[in-house]
Amino acid sequence: MNPVLAADITLPHINYGAIAPILILLGMACVGVLAEAFLPRTLRYPVQVLVSLVAQVAGLATIIGLALSNYAKKPTLTAGDALAVDGPGLFLQGAVLVLGIVATLLIAERSVERGGAFVAQAAVTAGSEADAEQARRQPSQTEIFPLSLFALGGMMLFVSANDLLTMFVALEVFSLPLYLMCALARRRRLLSQEAAVKYFLLGAFSSAFFVYGIAMLYGFAGSVKFHDIAVAAISSGKSDLLMFIGLAMLAIGLLFKAAAVPFHVWTPDVYQGAPTPVTALMASCTKVAAFGGILRIFYVAFLDSRWDWRPVIGVIAVLTMVIGAILAVTQTDIKRLLAYSSIANAGYVLTGVLAMQKDGISSSLFYLVTYGFTVLAAFGLVTLVRDQDGEATHLSRWAGLGRKAPVLAGVFTFLMLSFAGIPLTSGFTGKFAVFSAALGGGQTTLVIFGVLSSVLLAFPYLRVVVLMYLQEPAADAPTVAVPGALTSAALAIGAIVTLLLGVWPSVLLDVANSAAQFVG
Amino acid sequence: MTLAEQVQYQSATGALSSVWLLIAIPLASAAVLLLLGRKADRWGHILGCASIGASFVLGLWYFFTLRGLGHKAVSLDLFNFIQVGRFKVDWGILYDPLSATFVLLITGVGFLIHVYAVGYMKEDPGRRRFFGYFNLFASAMLLLVLGNSFLMTFIGWEGVGLASYLLISWYQDRPAAATAGKKAFLMNRVGDAAFLVAMFLMFANLGSTDFATVFNGVGALPHGVTLAMALLLLAGACGKSGQFPLQAWLPDAMEGPTPVSALIHAATMVTAGVYLIARSNPIFDATSLGQTIVVAVGAFTLLLGCVIGCAKDDIKRVLAYSTVSQIGYMFLAVGLGGGAYALGILHLLAHGFFKAGLFLGAGSVMHGMKDQTDLRRFGGLWRYMPVTWATVGLGYLAIIGIPPLSGFFSKDPIIDAAFARGGWQGWVFGLAALLGAGLTAFYMTRLFVLTFHGKKRWTDDIEHPHESPGVMKLPMILLAVGSVAAGGLLVYGGFTTWLEPVFGTTEVPGHEPNRAMMIGISLAVVLVGVAIAWLLFRRGTALVEQPARSPIVRAARENLYGDVFNETVFELPGKLLTRAAVFFDGKGIDGIVTGLAAIVGGSSSRLRRLQTGFVRSYALTILGGALVVVAALMAVKLG
Amino acid sequence: MHPVIPYVVAALLFGVGVYGVLVRRNAVLLLMSIELMLNAVNLMFVTADTSIVGVPRSGQVFTLFVIVLAAAEVGVGLAVILRFFRLRASVETDGVGAATETDAPREADAPRAAVRPDPDGEAR
Repeated sequence: MNPVLAADITLPHINYGAIAPILILLGMACVGVLAEAFLPRTLRYPVQVLVSLVAQVAGLATIIGLALSNYAKKPTLTAGDALAVDGPGLFLQGAVLVLGIVATLLIAERSVERGGAFVAQAAVTAGSEADAEQARRQPSQTEIFPLSLFALGGMMLFVSANDLLTMFVALEVFSLPLYLMCALARRRRLLSQEAAVKYFLLGAFSSAFFVYGIAMLYGFAGSVKFHDIAVAAISSGKSDLLMFIGLAMLAIGLLFKAAAVPFHVWTPDVYQGAPTPVTALMASCTKVAAFGGILRIFYVAFLDSRWDWRPVIGVIAVLTMVIGAILAVTQTDIKRLLAYSSIANAGYVLTGVLAMQKDGISSSLFYLVTYGFTVLAAFGLVTLVRDQDGEATHLSRWAGLGRKAPVLAGVFTFLMLSFAGIPLTSGFTGKFAVFSAALGGGQTTLVIFGVLSSVLLAFPYLRVVVLMYLQEPAADAPTVAVPGALTSAALAIGAIVTLLLGVWPSVLLDVANSAAQFVG
Repeated sequence: MTLAEQVQYQSATGALSSVWLLIAIPLASAAVLLLLGRKADRWGHILGCASIGASFVLGLWYFFTLRGLGHKAVSLDLFNFIQVGRFKVDWGILYDPLSATFVLLITGVGFLIHVYAVGYMKEDPGRRRFFGYFNLFASAMLLLVLGNSFLMTFIGWEGVGLASYLLISWYQDRPAAATAGKKAFLMNRVGDAAFLVAMFLMFANLGSTDFATVFNGVGALPHGVTLAMALLLLAGACGKSGQFPLQAWLPDAMEGPTPVSALIHAATMVTAGVYLIARSNPIFDATSLGQTIVVAVGAFTLLLGCVIGCAKDDIKRVLAYSTVSQIGYMFLAVGLGGGAYALGILHLLAHGFFKAGLFLGAGSVMHGMKDQTDLRRFGGLWRYMPVTWATVGLGYLAIIGIPPLSGFFSKDPIIDAAFARGGWQGWVFGLAALLGAGLTAFYMTRLFVLTFHGKKRWTDDIEHPHESPGVMKLPMILLAVGSVAAGGLLVYGGFTTWLEPVFGTTEVPGHEPNRAMMIGISLAVVLVGVAIAWLLFRRGTALVEQPARSPIVRAARENLYGDVFNETVFELPGKLLTRAAVFFDGKGIDGIVTGLAAIVGGSSSRLRRLQTGFVRSYALTILGGALVVVAALMAVKLG
Repeated sequence: MHPVIPYVVAALLFGVGVYGVLVRRNAVLLLMSIELMLNAVNLMFVTADTSIVGVPRSGQVFTLFVIVLAAAEVGVGLAVILRFFRLRASVETDGVGAATETDAPREADAPRAAVRPDPDGEAR
């Protein structure tokens, strides 16, 4: 054995320009932490909101700059091939940030619930006098902003990671803040804490599988770089066994984050328990990040062995679409309903991914963005329907909202129609894109199941609409809060994008199409 | 049409380059009416009528422009809609004789019914919103018939569906209306899913849903694919047009206001299925099995509609089942292929006039009778509502096919063509069509006699039924004129020749030499039906429902078990599947964990933990999934 | 030489960890089981490292990464569990189920009764 001398190690060249967006996000998150430590209490909220939005807008601007300066066309690897700056990576980073900005608007809202949707002092025992006091009066803690910045930065790192180790680090970087954010609800704190415990334990469990898969693949290929794994996969003479076990374990970790059946079990509980703005963030941004990782692994590392694993992942996609849709039918809580719908939607994206050609990438990217905006607006609306205990999420409480709040009911109906895939909404164009890409890739069965499940999924959406318009409101019906400027902006953006991408999808499809080339 | 012939559309120039206005005008009006809110209450109905009237005038102009053109099919590309890789869809319009015909039907009949609705909805506080939905419907329907690709048609298809659900559920305080709206939505979704899959098949095989590309490429496809496409399109058409097995929503849809029943659920939207099949004629021409199935569906549905129609006592339900049955005739005709496509469209137009007239007449009767719809509670109304009596009478004579009214010109050739199919199919389908004509005569006579003649059987609160106001009478009179004249005018005005560019032939199958005999036979059957009904019902009928003496009557009252059929075929498996999924998602897995824990810990107290949401049961699900994924990958690799 | 024994030991360790996650109801022990799984991975990395020729010892470096991340995970995890304990006076995860399938709107959250004797909590 040759001892490795310190002198042999050369530091890899890092193209700071190319990874500037990630650096901006993580750097500003640190600024947020410092602000939290040193600023007086009254100043924290405006400063944190400002830092958070500025970081994301600056990151987005940098990404656009990179995309325009041809990084999409001439992709590069940097930091010792650990990070890829290519079309899909930039698109996904941009998507995470665009959706993140809207989610931040929801998080920062303070007029719907007095003092914001988050707990003021997490240390107070739930249900005590002090807890009631803090729920009534005190403004939210502002740690949520740096936490969300860390999560978004981790997601951006995740979608551009070019080796498994970086991917694992990024996975933890974006997961850990999310676990904490789930626990920060101002009301129903027990539910929120339980959600956090569940999410954390199951998340850690699945990431252990993920890293076990990495170890297997390292044993197989002798490297954790996607390119090396791809090379090792086509060179004969190596035992495929390790590779397939590794791939399966890896897929489990990713499918867990993407909420695919049978790794979806946490989703309804966590979506229900987490504060609704955080749920919105998870349903949109985390989904983008998870599928970014799935796309990169499948299209870069395992493209050549696709004939072996595609049927298996195909079955998962079918299960995800069908079970998500069926279980959505039985739900009685709006947040759980949206959770199951997000599971089914993960199946649709997976269908697009499995096309295994360029269309598959671009249509999945497109779908992720369309779904993200719609789901953000939907959860944003959920925050507005309230009674004295906080949000009234049980479906029976939504009866008759169409009469009490015609505008809210109208927008929600529009979003439901989009989820149901009615034309002239982004839900239709998105599904159309992924399904036609999958058909182009020969995945007819998947598409048939997809169409059937989307038909099935129309029923629960319709039920909500019927409930809102055709039933008498209860005597103690919840009130509809007047959205503050931030929530209004988030809702308006979500609804307008849903309409825009339904009528004129080529705006985004062209971008997705020109971005759909991974660097190998 | 021979398959070698290429379908070509020229791009639109001159007057026709503004053909998109047809869709845009009602859409803009709908937007104004729905967005402006109460401010538009005073003049909303006028705008609603004016916009559809303007579309009608434009439609006429475009129609005459198209007549003057040599190449009678123009297309107009508006802008790029979806582009994914090699798939490309444009917003585009196809204006050819078929769509021109539909445009005139939709805007013409639509305008009359809009005017009628001004009077009918006068008391309704939501009249402005009603006109908004009505305009929305009109623009979606125009998009449906003007789109130049299946996708455009589909967008209109969903749009008319949406407007239809909104309007069926109009009387929100009636639970039946809400249920009917839901039912219509659900059954239509089944059909829509089939339509979607058909489009995906086109995408997968031909890379486009443009009419031109699909029709030119369909000849080269394997027969299985063509057949699948045809059957899926048929399923979509069945959903929208209320054909078997998706017919059950249409009669329930009569819960909406009567003008809605007349326009959407009689004259226009429900005929969209016929339009779809006629438009996709190259696909159906390429698969004779597919055509036979269309014919069979049509023949079966027309009998089903007739039989149920005989057993119903609600005037609008009878008309609704009559619609189901008449659309069955249209399906039968377009399924026969060749020149019979034109016969189907001809019957569609004629039906649009007389059925709209009949519905408006029914609405007028209800208007005068305090919204009574029970046939047993009418009687002797001809004296009080002479105009309604006359217009409904003309519509009635038209639908049963008395010469020289329009039904005679449109229905008899279909019966003739069905017999001309030859072989056992000719006999089966021909006899079904003939029997249907007799039954139609029976139940329509029953409806007419029970409503307008015989003794008064009114409820006590009605003293003096009144005729409707002029704004409602005028459309009824115009539609009656249409029911009288449309058939003959169209047949002698060269309607089949006009449609030749679309269907490629004018040759109608039929027994030329025996035509007179066929006409004689079918007239005889019709007269027998009329006579029986007149003898049975001229003295009125019992005021309460009689016990059903035969299984047929019982079955007919139960809508021939259509709802039971739906429950068993669609709902039951759905429910079972849901239960199974819920079980395995929660309780099942959890049961395993509980069992495992009990085995390991040897304690039975675990049973109290039989509820979902345990971290450990979730972890077990994940582990189970992981093992299955690994095992499946191994199996694929090694197997 | 193919290092069979370390691989088998690693697989066993991972299995023990998985088993622990499945049967433990104490959240802290659950966390420890997950740590065990991660340590199995570390063993695998180090083992795989020895059988790969001519490459710098990247496997050992990965082990360091995994250890650091595991530490971070424990930090966050213990924080979450500690909060949970404060609210519930118990770290038993089987109670974490009341959140699901509640058909009626939940009653206002109340702290569970004080520390509950928990004979089933340990050593299954």
